[in-house]
Amino acid sequence: MTGTEIFKHTAAYERDSRRIRLHAPEWKLLLAFDGQRTLAEVALSAEVSFAEAFSLTEKFLGQGWIAEQPITLEQYLKRTGAADLASIGAAVPPAVVLHAPKNAAALEAPQAAPAPSPRGPMRLSAVVDFIVSQADNALLGRLSAYRVFLRVPHELLQAEEIVSVNLVNDSSLIRTEALQKAIAEAVQEIVKRPLPDSVYAGA
Amino acid sequence: MPLPEQDLYSFIDVTLSHLNKIAANEIVLRDPTIEFQSLVFSSHTGLVHLKGAAEGFAYLTASQQFLQHLSHFYRSRLGEDGGREIMTDIAESLAINWHKRFGPVLSFSEPHIFSTVPDDPMEIPSAVFVLPLDLHNEHAFFVLGISHSSAA
Repeated sequence: MTGTEIFKHTAAYERDSRRIRLHAPEWKLLLAFDGQRTLAEVALSAEVSFAEAFSLTEKFLGQGWIAEQPITLEQYLKRTGAADLASIGAAVPPAVVLHAPKNAAALEAPQAAPAPSPRGPMRLSAVVDFIVSQADNALLGRLSAYRVFLRVPHELLQAEEIVSVNLVNDSSLIRTEALQKAIAEAVQEIVKRPLPDSVYAGA
Repeated sequence: MPLPEQDLYSFIDVTLSHLNKIAANEIVLRDPTIEFQSLVFSSHTGLVHLKGAAEGFAYLTASQQFLQHLSHFYRSRLGEDGGREIMTDIAESLAINWHKRFGPVLSFSEPHIFSTVPDDPMEIPSAVFVLPLDLHNEHAFFVLGISHSSAA
């Protein structure tokens, strides 16, 4: 969950709402889901911290009271194309998606699918573990990983829908050759050692 | 000159030292993440902008309950604006301690204190380092965001 998801009430909620028992702040969040605003925006309007909104949303999902609302391409582009932050102002949600695509028009043109890597998928957890293993302690290693990912072009991460790296046991797989190459080069620059073959799932 | 990870570590070291001093070493670290598209803000935030050897920001954001627990260590009850007051106090101390640690190579802005979300738009680096902290199961986050060239 990233905070950019949009949720709506389910039929089960409509049917059972009079029997649901919640604390007032929980009701405030549950009632705020409208199928229009992102989780982050809803959390802001309900005055619930992002961390609390996350756990409550998981609870509501588990109960079947809300469901994720898919959005159209037009809605998606409208959301991601908001380059003028000043126009957002105080409405910037607790978890803020502020990286507009470099060129929104490019999204409209048909693009060739990124080339999959001939080496097979790269395991992000293995990359992070390798970086951490080169440092004196785990926290230093994770900061080293931060330096590595600062060097990886944002467009490549975005193209593979990598919005976050969990520095412990991230389950993501990097499938495109371009992103694998960028990560390998960044590791070489920061850690001064090449990535081992074992970071590839097929190795 | 760009900052190596030892210097990035100093931000965290100073922050944890200060919080643990208040909270009698009861701060628990959770798994950090690198975020490419979002920032996390909780009830109260103390943010400091960085200039010089690194360009970017560092901030601590904490839930009201986290600050409530911290206030117990201050042996005071949290008043209406207590969360904000504690965050102001922490952010000012952090800025001073960071300045002591880094000296003239880095300049730190006055802490900017806000509730829930920033009052002004923020320029976000391509990636931020987020370290979640717990105190008695209540949450806070230390967030470091520096520009690519600052960590080259």
